[in-house]
Amino acid sequence: MIGALRSGGPMVRRSWAPAFLCCWLVLTWVLVEAFGDFFYTATAVRMFLLLIVVLGLQIFSGNSGVLSFGHVSFMAIGAYSSALLTIPTEIKDFTFLTMPNILKSWVFPAQLGTLEGTLAGAGFALVFALIVAAPIVRLAGVQAGIGTLAVLVIVQVFIVQTSAITRGTSTMIGVPHTTAFAHVLVWVLIFLVVAFVFQGSRFGLRLRASRENERAARSVGVRVSVERAIAWTLSGFVVGVGGALYGHYYETFGPRDFYFNTNGLDIVLLPIAMLVVGGMTSVTGAVTGCYLVMVVYSAFNRLEVNGLLGAKAPSGTTNLVLAFVLLVTLVLRPRGITGGSEIPWPSEWRLPRRRRPALPSEPRSDPEQRGRPA
Amino acid sequence: MSEGIQYTLDSIAFGSLFAVMAIGLALLFNVMGLMNFAYGELIMAGAYTMYYTRGSGWLGMIAMTVIVVTALSLLMELVAFRPLRNASPITLLVSSFAVSYSLQAVGWMTVGKGPQKGVEPYPWLTRQLDVSGVLVSRLTIITVITTIVLLAAMTLLLKRTTLGIQLRASTEDFRMAQLVGVKANWVISAAFAITGLLGSAVALLYVLRSGSVSPDIGLGPLLVAFVGGVIGGLGSLAGAALGGFVLGAIINALQATLPITLKSHTQLFAFLAVIAILVFQPGGLVALRGGFLRRFSRRRRPADEGVEA
Repeated sequence: MIGALRSGGPMVRRSWAPAFLCCWLVLTWVLVEAFGDFFYTATAVRMFLLLIVVLGLQIFSGNSGVLSFGHVSFMAIGAYSSALLTIPTEIKDFTFLTMPNILKSWVFPAQLGTLEGTLAGAGFALVFALIVAAPIVRLAGVQAGIGTLAVLVIVQVFIVQTSAITRGTSTMIGVPHTTAFAHVLVWVLIFLVVAFVFQGSRFGLRLRASRENERAARSVGVRVSVERAIAWTLSGFVVGVGGALYGHYYETFGPRDFYFNTNGLDIVLLPIAMLVVGGMTSVTGAVTGCYLVMVVYSAFNRLEVNGLLGAKAPSGTTNLVLAFVLLVTLVLRPRGITGGSEIPWPSEWRLPRRRRPALPSEPRSDPEQRGRPA
Repeated sequence: MSEGIQYTLDSIAFGSLFAVMAIGLALLFNVMGLMNFAYGELIMAGAYTMYYTRGSGWLGMIAMTVIVVTALSLLMELVAFRPLRNASPITLLVSSFAVSYSLQAVGWMTVGKGPQKGVEPYPWLTRQLDVSGVLVSRLTIITVITTIVLLAAMTLLLKRTTLGIQLRASTEDFRMAQLVGVKANWVISAAFAITGLLGSAVALLYVLRSGSVSPDIGLGPLLVAFVGGVIGGLGSLAGAALGGFVLGAIINALQATLPITLKSHTQLFAFLAVIAILVFQPGGLVALRGGFLRRFSRRRRPADEGVEA
């Protein structure tokens, strides 16, 4: 009996990592709800919302090895469309005076509940992801970075310019506050499991094969573009839910919430940093990176706001320390804290070895790759 | 008519700034696979150096800016990128975010505090010369001349000096270059020093042009140079320079001529065009062209089109 548990059956082993992470997240929630003050609750909700984005990114970037700056645009679409469909009609009447009639006829009467609104927002994000998937999945490397950045800019410009539907640069108001901490937790748990299931599914396996060696994957019949498109669309849905929840938690938001922010938490670059610092090829890495960044951030932010022993840290310390921690972590562990693997079965825990032998699957640095004879 | 020429000249000057910047980005990308997001902070550092040294005459200001920016660039390499030399490009990218973050935080905490600062351009720089009806400011002329000089100097450096040959060898195949005796530390430091020199020139010209100084001054130009560099072809220095130049010039021309309502929608279509170019010409627009532009570029190999990240 004990022996069986120690080595674990295949099902037990497979569900070990997701189960562990779920327990970890629930534990966080319990602790924060029980002992946390306003500050901790706000930070924890923020962390969980960001974690949804990081999980979405992990589903796409982690499995395909393709970088994306564009996922925040799904967040924006989720937030805006969910808000439009849930704001009470009487508020819409005076906030969206110039909305074209075609939209007015069905957007104005719509008053969806929490779940329907979130799902509708995520649905719009999914459709948008499906549309932009066609060009994006054909790109890799820097081209993918710039291509997804272009998606981000396009959505941002659209939101700012189409003020009849999005109120332009003004903030959305009257978004019902229907997101509680527990809702966010439930969605995070769902997406955690989704990320694990996707990773082990045939789609995830094919995509990961293409990440390790695109040509070899193609040669055994993997249609890389199709696999990338599937992951891209799925991650669009995940991040879309994150956006909708974001809207319903903060109640007011504007286009700048979904764009580069040079003074504070940058929602475009920070999730990428979280994913890479944790180890982008594993879900454990996504969670770890998110926790590391947010714990450092909130600790020093609190030091800035409240001070310790009467001495306050000068404002700006948080970003400085955060950048320093990121840098040191990457220097010590260039493949992320987890090294890109899931949390191992307890009997296999051992201290990290100093030097890992370079796996052939390891994403190599660019200069080496370029050296291949054509 | 004369107004049209004026706009054209101004756009050329603006675009050439981004050409210089894109070269710096492309150089680092080719030598060590680094997309350097911290490049914008070099411009920030340059801008603040200018703010504090403006009183000591233009020569002193230029000298100090060049020294500070180049030193910062070398320091960046030493502290952040040297330990990560063999890491994957994505790791390098994220560490450059971190460097950018920390420098910006330092900027906000020290020099960026308090009211908005600005560098007032020297009156003799902005004075406009009348060349048969076309008004040209001296700054425009200086910008264009500086760019040409810098590009010529880069060309000479890459073609005629040992360092240039080593740099080109390293962009072709870093490991092979090391095997035949190119010192990795030396070449990469040199690349960062060149980037710093180019960055200081961009900072000087850009700040004299725009006037205002803030810790996040670098982000805008950085994105333009990046996008321009990639659509031009980050794999080749000439391609990147041309891409940066064209994008910068187009942006300036559109901003000068279009009414405000149309301006932002143009950006939308411009980025749609960017996606289209990336999909149909992943190696960059210049990669297909022959002639002198290709002389310093890597040989184009089909396998390189999608550089694995």
